[in-house]
Amino acid sequence: MRFLSTLQTLKPSTLGLLDMAYVVVLLPLLLMLKVPMLLFVFLVLLLLIFKKEPAKPLHLIFVFFFGILAIYLSLYGAFSFRGLSRLKLFIELLVYVLLVVVSLQRLTQKVNFYLLLSPFLLLALSLFFYHGMVMLIYVIVEIFILLWLILAHRMEGNLVESFRSGMVMFMYSLPWVVVLFIFFPRISFEHATYGFKGEMEKRMGHDGVMYLDGNAQLVPSDRIVMEVGFDTKIPPSYALYFRGSILYIDKKDHWEPLPEFIQRKNARPDTTQDTALRYKVTLYPTQKRWLYMLDMPAEPIKNATLDSDLISTVKKEIKEPLHYAARSHIRSTYTEELDEPTLEASTLFQKDQNPKSYLVAQDIKQNVAKPDKRVSAILRLFKDQKLTYTLKPDTLDTNHSTDSFLFDKKRGYCVHFASSFVTMARMAGIPARVVTGYKADLSNSLNLYLSVKERDAHAWAEVYLNEHWERVETTSTATGMDAQTQTALATQNKNDFLDTLNLYLLYAKYQVETWILNYSNLRQLQLLDYAKSNPKFIFVFLASLMALIVLTFMIILYFRSPLYRSQHLAALQPLIKLLQNKGYLRKSKETLHQYFLRYSEEYPHLHQHIALLKQIDALYEQMTYADQNHASDLKKLKNLVRTFTKVKND
Amino acid sequence: MQIMNYTISPEFTPLIDAVEAHLIGKRETIALSLATFFAGGHLLLEDIPGVGKTTLAKHLCSVLGLEFGRIQFTSDMLPSDILGINYYNQKEGDFVFKKGPIFTSFLLADEINRSMPKTQSALLQAMEEGTVTIDTTHYPLPQPFFVIGTQNPHEEVGTFELPSSQLDRFMCSLSIGYPDNAAEREILKGKTAHSLSHSSVVLTPSQLQVYLTQASSVTLSDALLDFLQDIITFTRNSGMFEYGLSTRGALALTAMIKSWAMLQGRSYATADDAQMVTAAVCAHRLRFKEGATNAARIHHEIFTHIHSDT
Repeated sequence: MRFLSTLQTLKPSTLGLLDMAYVVVLLPLLLMLKVPMLLFVFLVLLLLIFKKEPAKPLHLIFVFFFGILAIYLSLYGAFSFRGLSRLKLFIELLVYVLLVVVSLQRLTQKVNFYLLLSPFLLLALSLFFYHGMVMLIYVIVEIFILLWLILAHRMEGNLVESFRSGMVMFMYSLPWVVVLFIFFPRISFEHATYGFKGEMEKRMGHDGVMYLDGNAQLVPSDRIVMEVGFDTKIPPSYALYFRGSILYIDKKDHWEPLPEFIQRKNARPDTTQDTALRYKVTLYPTQKRWLYMLDMPAEPIKNATLDSDLISTVKKEIKEPLHYAARSHIRSTYTEELDEPTLEASTLFQKDQNPKSYLVAQDIKQNVAKPDKRVSAILRLFKDQKLTYTLKPDTLDTNHSTDSFLFDKKRGYCVHFASSFVTMARMAGIPARVVTGYKADLSNSLNLYLSVKERDAHAWAEVYLNEHWERVETTSTATGMDAQTQTALATQNKNDFLDTLNLYLLYAKYQVETWILNYSNLRQLQLLDYAKSNPKFIFVFLASLMALIVLTFMIILYFRSPLYRSQHLAALQPLIKLLQNKGYLRKSKETLHQYFLRYSEEYPHLHQHIALLKQIDALYEQMTYADQNHASDLKKLKNLVRTFTKVKND
Repeated sequence: MQIMNYTISPEFTPLIDAVEAHLIGKRETIALSLATFFAGGHLLLEDIPGVGKTTLAKHLCSVLGLEFGRIQFTSDMLPSDILGINYYNQKEGDFVFKKGPIFTSFLLADEINRSMPKTQSALLQAMEEGTVTIDTTHYPLPQPFFVIGTQNPHEEVGTFELPSSQLDRFMCSLSIGYPDNAAEREILKGKTAHSLSHSSVVLTPSQLQVYLTQASSVTLSDALLDFLQDIITFTRNSGMFEYGLSTRGALALTAMIKSWAMLQGRSYATADDAQMVTAAVCAHRLRFKEGATNAARIHHEIFTHIHSDT
């Protein structure tokens, strides 16, 4: 209440209100500003704080040049006119220019139209840089605060009254927002590039090609690739391999899949083995065509193809969250005969490319007869080499990548392990191929929910043994991890409580993101499907909508109810309302005393009422004017008013 | 003008009854005059001749038990005619001060606007300061000291209009107006106590003193002060008046509200009290930019715009 009364006495000017608006909208943008621009903002802030009078033209020229310099330095290197076709760079430049212009205008201390308009522009622009749940909440707050400030501006700086009106307006809009949101899904952000080139060219954890060179440095990113909901139970950790691509061709510094023109027969999975596991996946936009499925896929996904490598793809790139249901056999392998092109591709190697490895492989090939023993021998060799797992490996000599990794650098991550193993296996006469995809971590699961992040991207090998492809986890041959990688990965399992908490938050975020942030026409259709099969849902939906409307109206009523000067005046309201409902209105000039007196004179026959009214009047008068406020008086007044409203006399 | 609701406390009804016996149907004016006295201010009666200005003053004086003095202002009057003079007493061989008619506790300054500004200001200075200064000697006026000034607003020939700075020194201005039909009939029948005999009801000096202190110690609540400040701000900022209420005017308003509350027998003042006295306090202090200024219009304008929420 003290805060309220302070607000009441505070009557900020237009400039004061504008400053508040700018603080609110610039807060998220400050995180994105580059250092020179931050310095510029800081300088303007200092000028505003220490120089109360309007800036002189000389100052303005100085600030202007400083601003131009800050823009130049911020965009140094990144800027070219061709670069402007990239949306984010363009928006960044726009924000910088806007900041300089607004700063100059603010320093003159004159309010003009673009100073009034810019907070909204900046709010809109900040949406290009952040679109997460936090930003969603912040934007809602921002919109409310801007509305409040506009009203405060119109109400000559009355912060309390404008807050109440703002709240009422805001609440009125809420049910509409929900209804419009559900029935008119917005376009997903990836579509909204407005003719600019996309920004999504950044390499993903899995992108269908596997690089071995320095470009391949991994940063453990927590970006979520997909979220999986299992129907019955989550499979154990060793089974959580999501297939992405199968790579056959060693291109020295990277591995590639087979070219598409090589015709191979389509896979016909055998479903007679163990019962398949059912799960539903929400795949976030990858700009690629793969649908990830657990090893080994049981059947093709609706509207997608499953090739002979058991890789599922769709026709068009995935540009909005995709939902699919899938089935996989996690404990079985899939017997198949290798066709000619596959066999050829999975046995091809260049012996002069990795001469050292070739010698070792030949040695194994000659000494070990059984193919599965050969595989064990290669894995043993890997172990003996004491390879270190690291996220930041030294650059390999990509002309001799296997030799370089196994016998020279001995540091690498899954990609290097898988690549070297496949090369060695082929040299030892076993058909082998690299598989890239995601290996999910059970620590990211809750109940039946599992999230797969970029950091879970993985590569492993498959060898053809006994007429089926068998998975080989090559990275497990690493003997140790370097300190840097340990710290980078340690965040995952540091604190059980925090982990669980984080997971719950993630789970909540998943729900919000699937149903609010990434709500699209697909989700809408899903919802409609669900509603069709569950008529009860429609009822629940309508009921909750009604509940929301009732709730908002209650909030509106709360904020619309007039603020009374005192508790005793508020206590009188039922009485006044009763008199008004009887058609007996208080004149604007009248004090309550006069109003009551007039009532007594006009209705002299209502003895009981009049007697009560006299008591109420006297008590109320004393409480209001004699500065004698006792809690007991208030109680008494309330009681009297209650009796008055209950008295029946006519 | 709207009907006022007030109930004079039984302590004061006899006083008002006694005056009303001579000025039938003018209870409200009488009560307001009494309130002005207890608020420690002076009263300006503005009205046409023959409606009872002098009667009101005389009988008010008699119930208050004060010494009555009267000055009929004319255009050739000098300040010394009011204040008194130093004259040379041959017997004593020294200058002796002869007190003027102002040395009384209840002064009726009749037709105050007929005298020259010099004379007017001599009176008004005494009203404000409570002392008379002649040849560097200060002579205190008796306490209490109450002035009722009268002026005829419609007469213009041979009058000197009081400047607003001088008018500000009167706490209230009232007009008596014609009596209503019933009252007039009573008067015509000759039933009023026309004789100038003194009233039987008279306040003792100690009682007077008690009431004067009581009037100044009436409680003003925050709720009422808010209302009061709204009124004061309105007179200043509405743009309706040539100039707003001065701080002295605001103080006068407060004193009148308190005094009026005391007449109701209350130890606290209410918004009704404020509505009751505002026009009387403001009538001679405010002037509308457009149109005529009178108490009724002032009351109407202020209270159509300023509402008490209590």
